[in-house]
Amino acid sequence: MSFSHQNAEPFIGLAQAPTRNNPHENSALTVRGLCKSFAKPIINNLDLTIAPGEIYALLGPNGAGKTTTLRMIAGLLKPDSGSIEVFGVDVLTAPRAAKAMMAWLPDEPLLYDKLSALEYLEFVAGLWQVEPATAAARAENLLETFGLWPHRHERCEGFSRGMKQKTVLAGALIHTPKLFILDEPLTGLDAAAAKLVKSILTQCAADGAAIIITTHILEVAERLASRIGILSGGNLLAQGSFAELQAAAGQHENASLEDVFLHLTTRADV
Amino acid sequence: MFKPTASFPWLLAHEIKLLWRGSILLRTSKYVLVPVIAVSIIFQAIALLIVKYLQTQTLPLPVLILIANINLIFLSGLMLSRAMTSAIDVLYARGDADFLLASPIKPIRILAVRMIGVAASVAAPWLLLAAALANALAFFGNWQALAAYIIIPMVAVLVTAIAFLSVVSLVASIGPAKARLVSHGIALFIGVFIFALGQAPHYIAPANLRALWLAFMPNADNINAAIWLPARAFLGEFIPATLFCAVCMLVFWLVLLTRARQFADGTISAAAYGSGPARRRANAAFRRTPFAATMLKNLRLLLRFPGLVTQTVYRSLTLVPVTMILTGHFAIGTGPGVVIPLLVFLAGQLALFFISIIIGGEQSPDLLASAPVAQQTGRRAAYAAAAYACLIVMALPIIGVVFRESQMLPMLLAAIMGSILSNLMLGQRFPIPLLRPAFGKTQTGTVFSLILGVSASSLWACLAWLAVTIHPLATL
Repeated sequence: MSFSHQNAEPFIGLAQAPTRNNPHENSALTVRGLCKSFAKPIINNLDLTIAPGEIYALLGPNGAGKTTTLRMIAGLLKPDSGSIEVFGVDVLTAPRAAKAMMAWLPDEPLLYDKLSALEYLEFVAGLWQVEPATAAARAENLLETFGLWPHRHERCEGFSRGMKQKTVLAGALIHTPKLFILDEPLTGLDAAAAKLVKSILTQCAADGAAIIITTHILEVAERLASRIGILSGGNLLAQGSFAELQAAAGQHENASLEDVFLHLTTRADV
Repeated sequence: MFKPTASFPWLLAHEIKLLWRGSILLRTSKYVLVPVIAVSIIFQAIALLIVKYLQTQTLPLPVLILIANINLIFLSGLMLSRAMTSAIDVLYARGDADFLLASPIKPIRILAVRMIGVAASVAAPWLLLAAALANALAFFGNWQALAAYIIIPMVAVLVTAIAFLSVVSLVASIGPAKARLVSHGIALFIGVFIFALGQAPHYIAPANLRALWLAFMPNADNINAAIWLPARAFLGEFIPATLFCAVCMLVFWLVLLTRARQFADGTISAAAYGSGPARRRANAAFRRTPFAATMLKNLRLLLRFPGLVTQTVYRSLTLVPVTMILTGHFAIGTGPGVVIPLLVFLAGQLALFFISIIIGGEQSPDLLASAPVAQQTGRRAAYAAAAYACLIVMALPIIGVVFRESQMLPMLLAAIMGSILSNLMLGQRFPIPLLRPAFGKTQTGTVFSLILGVSASSLWACLAWLAVTIHPLATL
């Protein structure tokens, strides 16, 4: 069988070089045996490891459990069982220390209509306890970068979807997180803004941050991510680089990620 | 099951279904009904005692009409003020307006459902109060008092029609920005006017006041005139009640027929209207601690609530008699016995109002949950901001008490803090509904909180009154 299925360990790229004291201290994110059920099982014994500097795309059909996984990593949802570590810090036992290193961006922008863009950044910087002078300088820089500087005093209620998305991205970047958890971050962005965000994320990864991203735009995953995981029915079907996934799915080298994705998820459904 | 047309009953059923699914009974424990039922039983018992006392009095018809007229004036005035505020909310809150107006449903059906919703919300609190009295009157044999169950909703229908007519016409004529300001102003003016009328015995000479009220009482020559029909309807006379209901429904229907298109246009322009830019500041206000940042955010949400000033003034009307007593404009035998319970009650009501704005305006709870902050930071910052706003309003009257009755200060502060804290805890769990939810979001708040809030504030006011009048501290 060329791809992992159900509870089996994903076949590609899981192994991280263990260290003597803590086998996961060199990984940005380590998820082990994660399970979550609501009325029915949503996540089933999920294992995942992401290294610093890596962009990991978590793909899957609707209802696959992507957002549930990200919410558990962000400390917003308690798993039924399993462990989550961020840079060696246990999210379940030391959530505040773990959250201090993370930025969570859900698919719907976490904004306040009645706050301006600058006031929103003030609030986020305060939550992550960024030193005020540093925060002010970063806010100015981020607002300039995202083209929001002329709108910094305008309330977010009047913003377009793209402007809202850029504002929350600026909020995520203001506290320089080491792990980005991004659920559909490019939704609503125009081509130029999407390109800008992709280049910023690439730069963050180059600077050592780890990024886990979900997207339904498979082309984004193909171009941006260094590794891709495919989740379906709460199981990680396969993970690895695009080329490795092509091989795993038995597809030729010209097959698109869409072909690979459909091939794997359809086989899992059968 | 799919229905072939989006008829008015279909839309009404849809709204009721959404209201029910968002109701507190489905969202929280059913035991929330226990205090509500307890308060209702207390109200009913008080009503029975009042009616038992009144049974000894036999009043002639002109006097009964006068009493009914006075009640109708106060009732319709306060209802109109509330309906104006609700009509503004319907037009300005985006909610599902875009979705509904983009569908092929006729605007008149949407307007009808919205107006019925406002009429129901306006009638509900008064009906709850009047029902206790009507039940008690019926219990002692005055069955016609049960007409209140029909007449009060009909008054609500009438004032709702007037409120929508005014707000929709204002938006069409002067635009959404000015219309909201003017509409809130009118709502506030009506509320203040009715309150001032209630205080008339304190500043109008008895002879003049008597002349004023006599204008609302029929004499032998005009007792059958049409002008007394609403009062007769209120008293439960069948034909006047039928005519009154017919007029109310006709006005409602005429507003629907003539304003539906204007409502659709007005809703689109009003919903698109923002509150304008935030005040520009020379320097950014970055805070070092999560608590300070959250508190600042909460204060900003409070300050930007559209009806903050009007609704705060409206709730603070009880300060008028307090001020008059404290400044010596009129003396009530038990000055502190009136002032202190009123202040304690007001503090609780303001606390519930402010915390409800903050909780209702919390659009991103996940942001706080994903931040490296203590779990209780959000709750404490909400309490702090609401209490801070509350104390700003209460500061002057408290200082007034210090000057006039300084020995009461510790007791006053203790009771105010108790009233504020009770309402903050209540409001944080069950905020009162102040904003229409965004499309796809659940309504924050419940009208049950209004009843629970009034009960909590009344309890603390009652304790303060007991402390003032019995003066247990004097025995120590």
